[in-house]
Amino acid sequence: MAPEHLSNGKQPVWDLPVRLVHWTLAGLIAFSWWSVHNHHTDWHIWSGCAILTLLIFRLLWGFVGSSTARFSSFVRGPGAVRDYLRGRWSGIGHTPLGALSVLALFGAVAVQVSLGLVSEDEDGIYTGPLSGLVSITTSDKARDIHELWFNVILGLVALHVAAIIFYRLRGRHLTKPMITGRAMIHPGAQPMRPGKWWVALICLAVSIAIVRWIVAGAPPFGHWTPPS
Amino acid sequence: MRIAPIAFAFSALLLSACGGPETSQGNNSQANISTDSHSPATANASGATNSMVMLAAAPPKDLALKIMHDRHEAMEGLGKAMKALHRELESGKPDITVVRAQTATMASTAAKIPSLFPAGTGPEVGKTRAKPEIWKQQDVFVRKARDFQAAAQAIDAAAKSGDLNQVMASHDSLDKACKSCHDPFRAPEH
Repeated sequence: MAPEHLSNGKQPVWDLPVRLVHWTLAGLIAFSWWSVHNHHTDWHIWSGCAILTLLIFRLLWGFVGSSTARFSSFVRGPGAVRDYLRGRWSGIGHTPLGALSVLALFGAVAVQVSLGLVSEDEDGIYTGPLSGLVSITTSDKARDIHELWFNVILGLVALHVAAIIFYRLRGRHLTKPMITGRAMIHPGAQPMRPGKWWVALICLAVSIAIVRWIVAGAPPFGHWTPPS
Repeated sequence: MRIAPIAFAFSALLLSACGGPETSQGNNSQANISTDSHSPATANASGATNSMVMLAAAPPKDLALKIMHDRHEAMEGLGKAMKALHRELESGKPDITVVRAQTATMASTAAKIPSLFPAGTGPEVGKTRAKPEIWKQQDVFVRKARDFQAAAQAIDAAAKSGDLNQVMASHDSLDKACKSCHDPFRAPEH
């Protein structure tokens, strides 16, 4: 790819909320794995609740956030993916193919969090906030799937990292823009339209409120006492 | 030379467990072990010397596997009682009879734990999550088992007295006793 094609100076492509969600999520997934393997099931549960907050926030921000954060800008049909693979795509943000990876990752993490919410540990010491809404058998089953499902997340993360390395070998840096928020963009590409900071705060408040309600066991349907 | 006092303490505990009230309750898995004439539990009853021999010499493989199976069942039963108790206490309107059934299971099973881990029933014999550390640090293991037994008896006593607040208060130390033994002495599931 000719360098002059991209030499338009670095432009914003990812807003702060998108970058924060990305790196916090990566850190919390690693922490969730570490904590549950080191007898810190209580930390594992809180980590899952934090991930749930991120997921809800990101979902809301996907409707009212910056242009590259919005699902409407990056969720495309198979036709767009085909065009992209043939080199006929010059937008900013998630590529039509990368968008599939984003949806798969967020979807897999959402499944994992949902399973964790209704799970219970094998000793009956730790329970997920919503485990009281289902039977003991269901909680045990959910925990089994929760353990297996982690492999799905691992696979998607591996694919994600492999794709980054693949693009890197072809001369495109994807990691740095996710840190700085800026990247070279095609001269003809639409620049990113940023979101409003107070809208981000409202999204954050709403996601915290929802998780707060879930952490109480989703009253009046249930009741949950956090691990002491 | 350090093994002698440990072995003695362990066999003394085995004896006390055998002589305890749980034997008279005729609980299933206890009965399983006792009906076997080669079982360490029966051997123990005949005296401290025998039980020390039992600890020094590993049981034959078929008996070891049987003990391990009974142990698995006992621990699983304990887990089920823990879960049922947790649900009941979280339900908002705990039924004392349900609570009592769980704590009774816990107290009787907890008393059996030391006798369910004779030497020669570790991962070298068959599939088990019991770590070799149980027998390397037997004094620590036995102390933790005893702590758990005390916690289980406390919550059972609270349940028997019908004091739900006391049951709630004892629940936390019961959880901690489970965890403090599982963390160092139980291997991960996979």
